[in-house]
Amino acid sequence: MIRTRGLVKRYGPIAALDGVDLDVPPGIVYGLIGPNGAGKTTLLSLLAGLRRPTAGDIVIDRGARAVLPDTPRFDPWLTAAEVVSLAARLAGPGAREDLNAVLAEAGLAEAARRRVGGFSRGMLQRLGLAATVVGRPEILLLDEPAAALDPGGRREVLDLIRRLRGRATVVFSSHILADVQEVSDWVGILDQGRLRFQGPVDELLVARSRPTYRVRVHSGRDGVAAGLRQTSWVENVEVLDDQTLRVRVNSSEDAERGLMGVLDRSGARVAAVEPEALDLEDIFLEATR
Amino acid sequence: MSLWRLEWLRLVRTRRLAALVGVYVFFGLLGPLTARYMGDILSRFGGNITVIVPDPVPADGIATFAGDAQQIGLLVAVVVAAGALTIDALPEMSIFLRSRTRSAGRLLRPRLVVSMLAAAGAFLVGLAAAWYETAVLLGGVPVGPLLAGAGFGILYLGFAVTVVAAVAARSRSVVVSAAITLLFLLVLAIPEIVPAVGIWLPSHLVGALDDLVRGGGITDYLRAAAVTVVAAAGLLAVAVKVQARREV
Repeated sequence: MIRTRGLVKRYGPIAALDGVDLDVPPGIVYGLIGPNGAGKTTLLSLLAGLRRPTAGDIVIDRGARAVLPDTPRFDPWLTAAEVVSLAARLAGPGAREDLNAVLAEAGLAEAARRRVGGFSRGMLQRLGLAATVVGRPEILLLDEPAAALDPGGRREVLDLIRRLRGRATVVFSSHILADVQEVSDWVGILDQGRLRFQGPVDELLVARSRPTYRVRVHSGRDGVAAGLRQTSWVENVEVLDDQTLRVRVNSSEDAERGLMGVLDRSGARVAAVEPEALDLEDIFLEATR
Repeated sequence: MSLWRLEWLRLVRTRRLAALVGVYVFFGLLGPLTARYMGDILSRFGGNITVIVPDPVPADGIATFAGDAQQIGLLVAVVVAAGALTIDALPEMSIFLRSRTRSAGRLLRPRLVVSMLAAAGAFLVGLAAAWYETAVLLGGVPVGPLLAGAGFGILYLGFAVTVVAAVAARSRSVVVSAAITLLFLLVLAIPEIVPAVGIWLPSHLVGALDDLVRGGGITDYLRAAAVTVVAAAGLLAVAVKVQARREV
């Protein structure tokens, strides 16, 4: 379990974190999202004990912690196997894992004996992950763990994070909202040093959702938009392109009863009407607007 | 793979150990040679001027080595130590170690000890070379005073490494750590011009090897040695405390 109360971190007059109350239940994957400069790295550094808070409290369960910075670097004259071996040794005497298996899981089996000075950024990221998970730490703090990876590598990292669920408490930050939505149990939205939203991903999506429909027409787009805007249960009509509208309504029931009638009365040639699922990106944009 | 092996590999794979030993051995071989043939060299380049150089004695071979070793050798030893002890020179690298090491002392100890041992070992290898060549070219040097002088020389090197540790605890640059350390050691030697003060200073140990092989007394250096040990312990405590409080 990780909990912070009134966490503040100031750099001179600037508050990187301003009263953050973080709650991370044990064994979950917690995705931390926020724009650049929101305070994600600062928050992870405080949780890792690498920086001290200006004010507030941090309570973290006892146990081994491992941190992955956004751009991991290692002494270039070490081999990948030596880096993981060192990480395992530092994790404690109980860490007796098969290092080759850990390297293989990170996709570095063939590069195990190579010195890391010649590694690409993606390979360093994979090595950083291998060094982070080795020794099975109870708490993992990952700063943009998939940032430097190609799509295949990103998929592997997400799968690895998913496999950690229940085995460890994982807090990871990411700019890729789809990744956070895919693997996180809980999500926290950080903006300008403040935690705007926090909670289980599903609850957040349901609580913040407004029924939205996507309407595609072959002709008569403006007439459809005008008709919808005059309708009481329509909250907003957004023109996406020449043929597509996004219609947000305040009642699914009213929309299901009346939407087709409005389209019919407009005389437009309707190609498709489909409900639109809300995703984390919408909530993120709304929260940080 | 332990933190101790990490430091050993740092010395070997970055060729810092080779550079360190190479410098001391170079001066160990050059010192007695210079002392033996200084008269010939000066007379060859003196032209019409007659240069009278006293006949070299065995102590001159060791003294020439000691002079070079305490300057160029110390410089290299400080740079090598700064490379190991400036932990936060690359924050991403230090995050890896700091987040997995609960105490600053645990992180610092291998870096400090290995740096000290490397400097001391290189100094001893260089001294052994100087001693052997001196014996061949100029005659034997009494072993007791030689070892005592070596001990004081190593103590001073160890002190220099602890200065690096204290400076590096607040620095993020290897070059800055080394430069400030060398400046500090230089400034610390200035009060040596007052003999009553100088005998208490760590820098007094720099001349011990030269003096002892020429028949000087060990007791002249005991006060400086005691102050050096106490100062080194204090610097270590400062280094650990500052490192522990440091934010990455």
